[in-house]
Amino acid sequence: MPWEVIIFYFIAATAIAGAAGMVIAQNPVHSAVFLVICFIQIAAVFVMLGAEFLGIIQIIVYTGAILVLLLFVLMLVDPEDLPEFHVGRPVQRAVGVILGLILLLEVATAIATRTITGRQGNATLENVELVGGNTQALGRVLYTDHLLAFEVVSLILTVGVLGAIVLALPERLGVRSYKRKDTISLAHPRGTDIALPAGEGAQVQTGLSSTAVAKPSGVGRRLIMSSDPDEQPVTGGGRQ
Amino acid sequence: MELTIEHFLGLSAALFIIGLMGVLMRRNVLIIFLCVELMVAAVSITFVAFARETNTLYGQTFALFAIAVAAAEAAVGLALILALSRRVRSVDIDEFRTLRD
Repeated sequence: MPWEVIIFYFIAATAIAGAAGMVIAQNPVHSAVFLVICFIQIAAVFVMLGAEFLGIIQIIVYTGAILVLLLFVLMLVDPEDLPEFHVGRPVQRAVGVILGLILLLEVATAIATRTITGRQGNATLENVELVGGNTQALGRVLYTDHLLAFEVVSLILTVGVLGAIVLALPERLGVRSYKRKDTISLAHPRGTDIALPAGEGAQVQTGLSSTAVAKPSGVGRRLIMSSDPDEQPVTGGGRQ
Repeated sequence: MELTIEHFLGLSAALFIIGLMGVLMRRNVLIIFLCVELMVAAVSITFVAFARETNTLYGQTFALFAIAVAAAEAAVGLALILALSRRVRSVDIDEFRTLRD
């Protein structure tokens, strides 16, 4: 058995062990560290496949940026201990295992019986060496054939960062942004059983800046739009 | 015994399915997020393996774009998790059942 096969099996076993540990671990921080192990093994697999640049990018982006970001978030959310993660929900776990095994069977069949192969290109290892290496060859392809996609990716990253800032922005102190600003009350507000002034759609001034709009007076009930349901409207008389 | 593309495809499938099982089995929304990241990385192994097989570089550029989009997705996803946990005071995915309070 040649050396590279032995090395591949070692890397694959470590990657699968890291992924399994990530799923099994009880502490989310342990899960993140297991995933770091798995991602470094994936970077080694990229290097074995001749994609050195992607291997470095994998380590920098995934283990350097994404998982550090995740560890920060992990310390910002509530450190909640959920024992039912591991003792409860046997049906859910059984469904997960069964569906995973079915998909594994299908994918293994697909890999074993694969007949279609792609058209051969000219980027063999020797040609890539002639250009100067994997990074140079990838740069040439990226800035000629995939230039538009490259620019779109930069747009996606900008929008993603802006969206993350907007989503993670804390609500203002004391003001919950999801609280309804205006209250529409069809009934009398508390303690204001005042007869309406005559006239269609008479406008009634309430407290500070909010307005109460009185609807046709035959009913005797008013449609009051006010920023506070308990606010007592002051009848100011019709303006028509 | 030669190292063929099927080895790498098998590793990719195994990692993808471990990530899928994690998504289906776990209830901590942070672990589910990690499993999704693992699935993205596993698929990029497939891209690079096919690029090696066909002697092209297009698979590698695809994997590069996948990594970039995964970074943007991680930022947005973690911000969503942060906002959700701030509102519901929990990381249990079963608690997230409404879009409003």
